[in-house]
Amino acid sequence: MNTPKPKVLLIEDEKTIRRFVRAAVEEEGCSVIEAETMAGGLIEAGVQKPDLLILDLGLPDGNGIDLIRDLRGWSEVPVLILSARTQENDKIDALDAGADDYLTKPFSVGELRARVRALLRRRLRRGEAATPVVEFGDVVVDLSRRLVLRGGQAVHLTPIEYRLLSTLLGHPGKVLTQRNLLREIWGPSYVESSHYLRVYVGHLRQKLENDPTQPRHFLTETGVGYRFQP
Amino acid sequence: MLLTVLACATTTLVATPLLGYLDLANIVMLFLLTVLLVAITFGRGSAVLASVLGVLLFDIFFVPPRFSLAVENIQYLVTFAVMLITGLITGHLAAGLKQKAHEALTRELRTQALYDVARQLAGALSQAQVVEICHAFTQGQLAAESLILLPDDQGHPTVAMGSSPNCKIDPLLANIAEDSGKTVRNQELSNGYASLYLPLRASMRTRGVLAIAFPTEVVSLPDEQVALLEALASLIGIALERLHYVDVAQSTQLKMVSERLRSSILSALSHDLRTPLTALVGLADSLFLIKPTLPDTALETAQAMHEQAARLANLVGNLLDMARLNAGEITLRREWQPLEEVIGASIKLIESALVAHPVKVRLPADLPLLEFDAVLLERVFCNLLENAAKYAPPGSNIDIAAQPAGEFIEVSISDRGPGLADTDNDRMFDMFVRGDSVAGKPGTGLGLAICRAIVEAHGGTIRATNRPEGGASISFTLPRGTPPILEEESV
Repeated sequence: MNTPKPKVLLIEDEKTIRRFVRAAVEEEGCSVIEAETMAGGLIEAGVQKPDLLILDLGLPDGNGIDLIRDLRGWSEVPVLILSARTQENDKIDALDAGADDYLTKPFSVGELRARVRALLRRRLRRGEAATPVVEFGDVVVDLSRRLVLRGGQAVHLTPIEYRLLSTLLGHPGKVLTQRNLLREIWGPSYVESSHYLRVYVGHLRQKLENDPTQPRHFLTETGVGYRFQP
Repeated sequence: MLLTVLACATTTLVATPLLGYLDLANIVMLFLLTVLLVAITFGRGSAVLASVLGVLLFDIFFVPPRFSLAVENIQYLVTFAVMLITGLITGHLAAGLKQKAHEALTRELRTQALYDVARQLAGALSQAQVVEICHAFTQGQLAAESLILLPDDQGHPTVAMGSSPNCKIDPLLANIAEDSGKTVRNQELSNGYASLYLPLRASMRTRGVLAIAFPTEVVSLPDEQVALLEALASLIGIALERLHYVDVAQSTQLKMVSERLRSSILSALSHDLRTPLTALVGLADSLFLIKPTLPDTALETAQAMHEQAARLANLVGNLLDMARLNAGEITLRREWQPLEEVIGASIKLIESALVAHPVKVRLPADLPLLEFDAVLLERVFCNLLENAAKYAPPGSNIDIAAQPAGEFIEVSISDRGPGLADTDNDRMFDMFVRGDSVAGKPGTGLGLAICRAIVEAHGGTIRATNRPEGGASISFTLPRGTPPILEEESV
């Protein structure tokens, strides 16, 4: 076991926050590169080629959303957003621009470590051959045979339900914005008809969750979108 | 009249000496000339008189036998007839021409006055100015009193602008004019009552009524004057509409500026307050990462620091929310969505506060989609669930239920705690008010106030009761509205 340590680039202007984030990320067995500004962060991202980027949205020298757009032009590195703002719009913009996940300040070290772990794991898995079978709870989905089993019993899904399910399964742990999902599954003319998405997520929960009112796998990020939690 | 007679007499006197030299036919010409001049000078009536007089005088003084109406030669009857007819027609045409010229002049003056009014109205900056301009016009052009009536809150044109003590209003006629958008005339009203009501029509809607009271001596009103007043009314209507939109634009701009300022202050405040709290929470947590592990007492202190900082962050969140809600007009991001989703998200969000209190959700299967702002409603559920978890004994259930209630859906969150000592609803939902029984429990009394602000912003109500079987229950309503139609999937 001699894999190189994953590199995490942390772009955050507050020194004290950098300090504990670094401690938490190092605890996950990563090496940390720090940057204080957007310009500096973009250069480090190009030079160091990190495995994960942790980005504060409120940087003094520019909007973090622009950085994500720039970055996405040439890199697929996972991006975790730290946002001090409660406004959902900023998160949605960042996620639509290509960010993978977000944490709202204040957050605990435990939450941070969990998110970092999930994002790094996803990056590793990307290298492996994609497996057509996804399992969560008592549900098994065989994407190659379009088969959904729950507790061994076949579950009937409508075409849209199946497409929604496979889209969500394709991005485990990632927050998918409503706009994103609507465009992907219903098409561009439906991006304002969010009730469709909500009703169909409800159908999936009815069919695949033990308690649809308290879902464990198809999670709502209120005001933002949905996340599939394996 | 006298002058006409005089003119004919003069013609006779002038022509008499010429009788020896001129043919009778030429003397007829002199009379016709007189008729023409009279017609131009005095108008149609005088011209008729001059024609008849001319024929008589010609007959008496010039046609033989002279000084008698008798006629020697029957041929002269033709002369008389031609003379009379020519005189009448000439007089008529000449008089008509004169009247036309006069009317044209009057019309031009009025048109000019209307142009002036249009120009003045275009520059008017206030309704008072419009009223003044209108009043000056009706006074100057028609010697009439005018009053502009603007619609009140119910849309009836009752609010009188300007002061015209001699112009009394019949509200019924004003209403008819406003509603029908047509001019209403009533000649029978007198002694100071307005007899003409013109709607102030503009492109978007009728902006009020212009009432005109004519002096008592004016008996009937020519159509042409009504047309003039209608033109005036539409000019005023357009001016009032322009002023209305100037007002709207100004207040919108003002609102936008203050909205932007408020939200930038709040988000700066939010950033500045949350950043140190984030550092505090994170640094307290990072004490657990130190190797070798710190002694238990130090870790307990670190845990307490984390909890206090998190509570402070929660309080800051509540205060900022309240500031945002209290600042007035909150913009709701309303979307149609199932209630169960926001309930699930809320439970997930405050999972850690609910470990000792299983939440049981019971929703009717046919619960329709509701239109609400999910982020704000999540706040309501979180606050109510946190409250319930705070007061109910560990291990007891919290119940969430919903049922239709007329035009609303009623949602209730009930616990099995000690219940409310005082269900004085209004006071309970006020800011910073805390129940007497809660001393010793942490809290600020902001939670319920925020819930009320959010629910009321959605058009619902919130109330607190004690359940008959014990425990407190907070229920709120949300309007059902008309959910959008969902196209069924073709399978």
